[in-house]
Parts: sequence; C-alpha cells; structure tokens
Amino acid sequence: MVSDLERMKKERDKWYQLAIKYTKYYAGKFATVPRVPVTKLTDFAIWYTPGVAAVSREIHKNRELSFELTSRWNTIAIISDGTRVLGLGNVGPEAAMPVMEGKALLFKYLGGVDAVPIVIGTTDRDEIVDLVKKLEPTFGGVNLEDIESPKCFYLLDTLRKELKIPVWHDDQQGTAGATLAGLYNALKLTGRKLTDSKIVLVGAGASNVCTFRVLVAAGVPPGNMIVLDSKGILHPEREDMDRLMIRNPWKYEIAMKSNKEGVKGGIPEALEGADVVIAASRPGPGIIKKEWIAKMNKDPIVFALANPVPEIWPWEAKEAGAKITATGRSDLPNQINNSLMFPAVFRGALDAKAITITDEMMIAAARELAKFAEEKGIHENYIIPTMMEWEVYPRVAAAVATKAIEQGIARVKESWQYFHDRAIEIIGATRKTLELLMKHGIIPPFPD
Amino acid sequence: MVVFREATLEDVEALAPLVVRLKRLNEEFDPLLKTREEAIEIAKKYLREALEGGKSVILVAEEAGKVIGILKSDLIERCFYEPRLEGRIIEFYIMPEFRRRGIGRQFIEEAIQRLKARGAQLITAEFPSLNEIAVSFYEKLGFRPIINIYAKEL
Repeated sequence: MVSDLERMKKERDKWYQLAIKYTKYYAGKFATVPRVPVTKLTDFAIWYTPGVAAVSREIHKNRELSFELTSRWNTIAIISDGTRVLGLGNVGPEAAMPVMEGKALLFKYLGGVDAVPIVIGTTDRDEIVDLVKKLEPTFGGVNLEDIESPKCFYLLDTLRKELKIPVWHDDQQGTAGATLAGLYNALKLTGRKLTDSKIVLVGAGASNVCTFRVLVAAGVPPGNMIVLDSKGILHPEREDMDRLMIRNPWKYEIAMKSNKEGVKGGIPEALEGADVVIAASRPGPGIIKKEWIAKMNKDPIVFALANPVPEIWPWEAKEAGAKITATGRSDLPNQINNSLMFPAVFRGALDAKAITITDEMMIAAARELAKFAEEKGIHENYIIPTMMEWEVYPRVAAAVATKAIEQGIARVKESWQYFHDRAIEIIGATRKTLELLMKHGIIPPFPD
Repeated sequence: MVVFREATLEDVEALAPLVVRLKRLNEEFDPLLKTREEAIEIAKKYLREALEGGKSVILVAEEAGKVIGILKSDLIERCFYEPRLEGRIIEFYIMPEFRRRGIGRQFIEEAIQRLKARGAQLITAEFPSLNEIAVSFYEKLGFRPIINIYAKEL
C-alpha cells in the first residue's frame, strides 16, 4: 500500500508540473467562438448595425425572446468569490480563475454549455446576491462555485428564489447528486433500501448539508440519519445549538430533524450499527478509523469523499469489512464525481428553458446515472459511470428536462427523445469544433 | 404534553444551564453581551436569590418530567408612570427541540395569568435589540417596543 501511495503522489506531482507548463503555453483555457457565418464585412449589416436594431426591438417588445434571439439560451455564468477553492481554501478571486476556466471547459466539453467564468471582488453575501441578480439578463443560468459554507447555502437559497433562471451550486448539488447516484447502486448490490438504511454523514459542509436534504427528498426518513460536524454528532441538546441557529440555520435544521435516537458523541458512536457512511469532511487518512468501520452493520457502504486524500483509504475500509467503497479520486474505483452531474443537468435545464433546477430534477439525474451503470452491469468496483462514458450525458440531460416539464417549470415542452437527440447534437458539435481547431493547428498540440 | 409550574429551590440545578444557554444565545447578538466564564455558578445564585426575594415569578416548563424551558419575570413598581405595576420577562428559554410547537406562546400566556394575579397591569419583555426572532415572536403576541436602551463601550 505504501508503494500505491507513493505512486499516487508521484502521479499528482507530474500533473502539477504539466499544468503549470501547459497553462502558461496556452495562456488560459477558453475564448469565445462565433456562432454565425461571416465571409465579408457586409455580413455585419446583419449581425451588427443596422440589422441588429430590429432584433433589439423584438426583444424590447418581449424580453423572453432574449432566450431565442441571443446566445442566452446556452450561456451560463460561473460565479466565484474564491473563498473556498478546491482544498486550497480562501485563495481569492484571481487565484480561483484557473479553476473556473477549467470548469468552463468541462461545461463546454461534456455538456456543450457556454460557461463564462466570473470571479468577483467581494465576499459579502448580500453584495453577491445583488451582483448575480443584476447579471441575470445576460445569462440562461448561474453556477456558483467554490464559495465557503454557510454563505453558499444562503446564496443558493436566495438566488434560487429570486432568479427566473436555474441557479446551481456544484459543491452542494453536484456532489450530493453524484453521491445519491452511487448510493442507489451500492444499496442495490448490498440488498438494502434507501427508506430503511441507517446513514451517517461525516462532515456538515456544502455537500453533506445538501446530501441530507436530497436524501430526505429521495425518501430517507431524516431520523434515520446521523450527521457530524467537526464538534461531533449533531443533536438538539448540543451546547452550540443556539449559535448554529443564528449563524448556520441549515445545520441547525439538520440537528433538529436527524438522529431520532438521540445518539451523542463522535464518529465511532455514530457508526455503530450503521449501514452507510458518507464522509465529506477533511482530507485523511485516519479521519475514519478501521475499527470504527468494523462496528458498522454487515457489508457496509463507505463513501470517503474528501480530496485529495479520502477520510479512510478504500483498502483499509475493505479490510475492516466494507463491501462497497467510493472516493472522490479518479485513480480509484467508484469516483463520486460531480462532473457527471453539472454538464448534463444544465444541458437538460437549458434545453427545457426551466426556470429553476429543483431537487427532484437532481434526483432524476442521479437515478438516470445509476440506471445507466446498472444497464452496463454494476459490481463492487462499478456503481457509477465514469466521465469517459459520454453517452450518459444526453440521457441525464433528457431525464432532467423531462422532470422539469412534469413539474410545470419548463418553457419548452418536448419529448424525452427530443431532449436526448438535441443534447447529442449540441455536445457532438462542441467535440467537432474542438477537433477542427486542433486539426488546423489553431489549437496547437501540447509542446514538448 | 408540556406542563408549566412555579419553580422551587429544587429546580435551581436544572434551570441554571438554561439561563446560561440564554446568555450564550444573547452573546451572538452583541459583543457587549459576552457571557462570563463562571456563568453557571452565577446563574444558580441568581435564581436562588430571585426565588427567595419574592419579587419574581419563575416558571418551569416540563415534558415527561424533564425540564425543557424557563421563564423568569420580575414585578417592577413604576414610580412615574401609569399603569403602576409592570411584570417584566427577563429570562425566557426553551430547549431547541421543543421549539416551533407553540410552547413559547403558552408559556407567555401562563406567565401573564400569574403576573396578573400578582397585580401586574402591563407586561414587558427584554431581549437583545438584534434578536429578530424575539422581535417577531413578541410582535405576534401583540407587544410593541416602548423604551430603547442604547449602549456605548467606554
């Protein structure tokens, strides 16, 4: 195992070096590309003045037309204040930009979505709300990214309510959705049901707070879950409850609704007799100990999602009896990867012109991911698709769009097949564009 | 089923932690309400003196024999104003898991009855200015602000 760790560390160092070298060579990761033909300057009489005035007049008469007559239908903002970037912490907006550019690239490549990274020079929650509201006319959607907790909960709740376009916080919903997808299949493989499993959530940050809410929406009785933060198990009698009520009401709510047996203590107390543990807390190893896993029910499910090092290594969890393990890492089996969620969720939400992304749409996405893997044949080391299986994206997009129609929040009401084909077409076009740009040397090959 | 009753000296041990919880909650609203380290001992002494002083109405809320809330109010003589006798709610705390069940309202009504029986002609409540939860709670019960206390650290 030591050699495994060394190999992984070497691998990571190699990626660090290449990232610096290549990012410098290509000078950033994205640029805008025209959508219309331009062969002569007079074409601008159509795309710009005088022709464009007629288009403006149309939208002035009916603002909804901005989703048809401008690129708004496919353009989203990636908003970050740089307060919680990856595992790096509060590095500020400029240092957050490479991550946001990378996110934009994933949005485009996997979902065909034009995403514009916007890093902002304020960390004040009400200023951020104000700013994003003012940006709404430009965009078809908003992806919040790498914003610290509990501010991220306030932003998502407030903006979801106040904007008429989808707002998504990937660190909450993306991770929670992918977790649910993996969990569906892990439960199937161990003969369990969501409704009567005892689930422990280690960590009460962005992703687990959202995971709790989504698991409840998916049918888990809240009392069957135990949630821990850095101070231990959340329960209503804990000394800091009033402080949480004021400062982190989202966590307070969880303390009120979860843990019906009133278990007190830390991770070992919580894991005793549990079926599932989903850890999204802080980098391990050793946050969760082998002997604690051994106290769980037979064939337990262990998701240790902290990056770069999971709370417990999968092999350690398995030695202690875990039946199925998952992590956030691409070099280990069963990666709970939010890149499986956000490109497809936005593809579906944008194509349906949904006014928001509900938890039900997110659950529909998770179900489709799980179904895809199940059709291919699930086993201990394959409970969730990988990013390589790009056929899954159009299916998830169609599932999300169809759910939006069912919930009466879609402006476009078409069939599952329509959304599926459209997603294939749009995502396919992105790949073709990229191929062409590379073929013609406009995007040069990697330097030596 | 929650029952309300008058506190006795025997309740001091169970009630003091609730008073301290309230002070720690108040601390969230203003640094000038920073709670002292030895608050628990102070709370016990404070409750004992109030119980013996005869100028307070201290109520306990109990469910299944477990203390889940406290309401302490004082009877205050207003020498310039009319009406003359005021019942002022000074400490009011209910454990988190028992909130949002209407217990707070019943608790206040219970206190009002007892204060009235002791001659109170109006009822007031004090809490940190920035506690919006308390503001909306009392406003729903028909209270309105009558006096402000402003502070400035020296």
